[in-house]
Amino acid sequence: MLKRLDRADLEKLLAALATGYRLLTPQRLADGTRLHRPHGEGALALQGEPVQRKPTEAFFPQHDPLLRIGEQGEVTTCDPPDRPVALFGLNAADLACIAFIDRFFADPPADDHYLARRKDALLVGLTGFAGPGGDFLPPANGMCDLELLALGQNWLGVPWTPRGEALLEGFPDGEQAEVEELQETARTRGNPAQDLLEKAAGLVASEVVPDDFWREIGDRCILCSGCNLACPTCTCFCVEDRQEQAATLRSRVWDSCQFDAFMREASGHNPLGTEALRTRRRIHHKLAADVTRWGEFGCLLCGRCDRVCPTGIGIQAVAAEILARFGA
Amino acid sequence: MTATLTTCPYCGTGCMLYLLSDGQGRLVGVEPSAGHPVSRGQLCVKGWNAHAFVQHPDRLKTPLVRRNGTLEPAGWDEALDLVHQRFRQISAAHGPDSLVFFSSAKVGNEENYLLMKLARVGYGTNNIDHCARLCHSSTVTGLVETLGSGAMTNTVACLDETDLVLVIGSNTTEQHPLIGSRILQATQRGCRLIVADGRRIKLSRHADLHLRHRNGTDVALLNGIMQQILELGLENRAFIEERTENFTALQESLAAFTPERVAAITGLQADEITAAARMFGTAKRAMLLYAMGITQHSHGVDNVRAVSNLALLTGNLGKPGTGVNPLRGQNNVQGACDMGALPDVLTGYQKVAEPSVRDRFAAAWGRPLPDRPGLMATHAFDAALAGRARAFFILGENPVLSEANQAHVVKALAAIDFLVVVDIFPTETSAFADVVLPAACYAEKDGTFTSTERRVQRFRRALPPPGEARADWEILSALLERCGLPAGYPGPGQIMDEIAAVTPSYGGISYPRLEESGLQWPCPNHDHPGTPILHRQSCTRGKGRFSPVDFRPSRELPDAAYPLLLNTGRTGMHWHTGTMTRRSHLLDREEHSAFIEIHPEDAARLSIRDRQQVSVESRRGEVRVMATLTDRVPLGQVFMPFHFVEGAANALTNNALDPESGIPEFKVCAVRITPC
Repeated sequence: MLKRLDRADLEKLLAALATGYRLLTPQRLADGTRLHRPHGEGALALQGEPVQRKPTEAFFPQHDPLLRIGEQGEVTTCDPPDRPVALFGLNAADLACIAFIDRFFADPPADDHYLARRKDALLVGLTGFAGPGGDFLPPANGMCDLELLALGQNWLGVPWTPRGEALLEGFPDGEQAEVEELQETARTRGNPAQDLLEKAAGLVASEVVPDDFWREIGDRCILCSGCNLACPTCTCFCVEDRQEQAATLRSRVWDSCQFDAFMREASGHNPLGTEALRTRRRIHHKLAADVTRWGEFGCLLCGRCDRVCPTGIGIQAVAAEILARFGA
Repeated sequence: MTATLTTCPYCGTGCMLYLLSDGQGRLVGVEPSAGHPVSRGQLCVKGWNAHAFVQHPDRLKTPLVRRNGTLEPAGWDEALDLVHQRFRQISAAHGPDSLVFFSSAKVGNEENYLLMKLARVGYGTNNIDHCARLCHSSTVTGLVETLGSGAMTNTVACLDETDLVLVIGSNTTEQHPLIGSRILQATQRGCRLIVADGRRIKLSRHADLHLRHRNGTDVALLNGIMQQILELGLENRAFIEERTENFTALQESLAAFTPERVAAITGLQADEITAAARMFGTAKRAMLLYAMGITQHSHGVDNVRAVSNLALLTGNLGKPGTGVNPLRGQNNVQGACDMGALPDVLTGYQKVAEPSVRDRFAAAWGRPLPDRPGLMATHAFDAALAGRARAFFILGENPVLSEANQAHVVKALAAIDFLVVVDIFPTETSAFADVVLPAACYAEKDGTFTSTERRVQRFRRALPPPGEARADWEILSALLERCGLPAGYPGPGQIMDEIAAVTPSYGGISYPRLEESGLQWPCPNHDHPGTPILHRQSCTRGKGRFSPVDFRPSRELPDAAYPLLLNTGRTGMHWHTGTMTRRSHLLDREEHSAFIEIHPEDAARLSIRDRQQVSVESRRGEVRVMATLTDRVPLGQVFMPFHFVEGAANALTNNALDPESGIPEFKVCAVRITPC
């Protein structure tokens, strides 16, 4: 099944989504920030860089109340919102990131709290000519319920699940040849960023990157923790307890492995006690450890850590530097 | 889920961010503004955690009045009536100058404006000041004399087009991280960097030259660099002739500052001073950045003069990529100064001693103004102990932890008749109060902050205040009304309209014009686009004035009894007295307790191990903290942040004041350390 939607059809699809879901769509705010916002709050921004905030936030929020412990010690869990979320406008990298942390949270012991939000959620990909200024974004080829391939003023609708299929019901049919043309464009363009990452990962895994290099990169870290907070595949959290009247509210809060306290022992000793070691860990985890654990990189090239880093040491920048210096 | 665009509540850099709430009244996070010229989609660690303290259960939620020695909940009318009645009584008995008002660099411009109006025409005293006294009063005094304006001359974005940055007395990557990171980016593109700081701060690892001069010897260092610039013929003759005055006096004053003499004073090598002079003097465009390391000395104003002299000598003023750039500490310390929360000036630095200024304000406010400049905050505690200051109104400050010589402050607060504290959390200062008024924090009200680059920008309400807490402008309006002054402002926007009407440099500022990234003052009228760079054609005062200065040693140096030099300051994780950051989970976890940095060789000599508890004593007090062994500090020097009540650095510091600016000597005093 393949459909072809014009702008009116797209609005119709969004209206249908908004009836069953808390629909979030990419919108450009007054200061230029592109964020996922409740649909209808502002104008849709159908083209542009990836939404600034990581999309995995919908299932794993920055500050997430888990449970309340009452005066008598009774525990009540905090329930997720009534209506499931529909995330509209995800590119291939973002969809891959969601798939990555789905596997992490579903892996036994499964994280019920995450799954409660995730299980009925709907994902809508938006690829094709939907990048900044209408730049090309490679098709996701799955990882979502339905994918819209932007062709300018029209979109090809490809369902990937029965729910996606139902939502596309009734729209005019599309031409398979147009999808193939987009696939061909993706093939021709290749993925130079992925190539670079693979080469850098090879160097990191084979331990040819010396400690001095990590010291140098660590010296440039101002410890904002933004790389971790922006990364859709970072899943580390800490637990915060707060007294609210007589009850204690326990929440999980995004953490950062760049903090000294992340690994510091009660004795004060820290096996990752220097910026150099922590920087190495940040890169090594994504490019080497995750490969061992999951069989793929923990970096899906969404670009957020490079965008958020005030000193230019996001993962792609570091990978490029590794390659330039040790790749010969 | 709502997203509210607002300005960060921490430092003076002025980043804008979105406060994110879950739609059920709970703040859940922060996202940087992508389009803002300073934040550019990025934040520092405190910015990323700017939501974390807002809904902390410790927030003050109801007015408190002391009854039989205990602070007990009270109604707003009861509390405000009591404040007004006691201030009237004390003023009637001891004169209006027995009242002292501390404003806050953490609240909006509109609120600073209302408090200084309340002090001056509500209660008839110019005794109004705020924590700028403790940070950049030396800058305001020094730069007004030499350039005519006591603010950062250039913009943060100028770092993208400069050829050299000299950072002196600023740990920029920790204290103004989004400016510090911009310096690091500049070095990546080849900009040269000189760091003058005794400590091995992060920036020093990227410096072409790191000058580790002794604390308190900045005048000697800067004079030495200028002496060598002249010796090498690297001064900008054309600029000196066209744009400056008093050059001959400067030249004569520098003669004695030979590299050898300066080396002996500063502890540097003579050739380091020459190298700095050559590097600075040959740069096409150079920016000078400084902060508390320059200002917090008993010769802070002289330090500022020396910095200004260096910029004038080399013509680094009035164009992109240059300038004298004091980095203001608090998010609104620039604004609190601009608003005249100072004892000698009204808004826009209009002098209270000037009859025409008083007449203009009297016409606008409908009441005559007191004509004698008031007490500086640092003098107010002496006045309290002498019985001259009897009632204090402290808005959003915590002097028990932030002022030098804590014992002195505590004694003064215990001696006065009446203390009112307005704050968002209970503090070490509110513990002394007779009345405590609960305030809304930045996330719960509207207003404007003015950043270090003179950018006036909006902060916006993202959620209602807790309990009965009110916005400071509402609290102050209620007191103005009790004083018989009209204060029926519908909102802060109308207060800003009144500010614009009486303040030439803010004349063109109005809320509709601040919607996106704000405006940089001076902005004299509604068509004016704002002024990113000051002193372009001529200085605010006309000619730039060279102000020669001589080297004066710090007031208390190490000796046999107290052999170590104590330097104090802040860390990247915490903010000032910790009221907010120690209630922010991740920040508090990262730095959880008081510590002192000590050089490993000094520690070995004193048999101190890493993380061991030590006693630190000065002539004014003793605290117990954890020792952190690090060569970040030079031999013979120790460093303590002032964030921690349980190991208060300011129990030790020396309240020796600069004679002109009244700033205490936070950066130099003598201590001894013993293992516990």
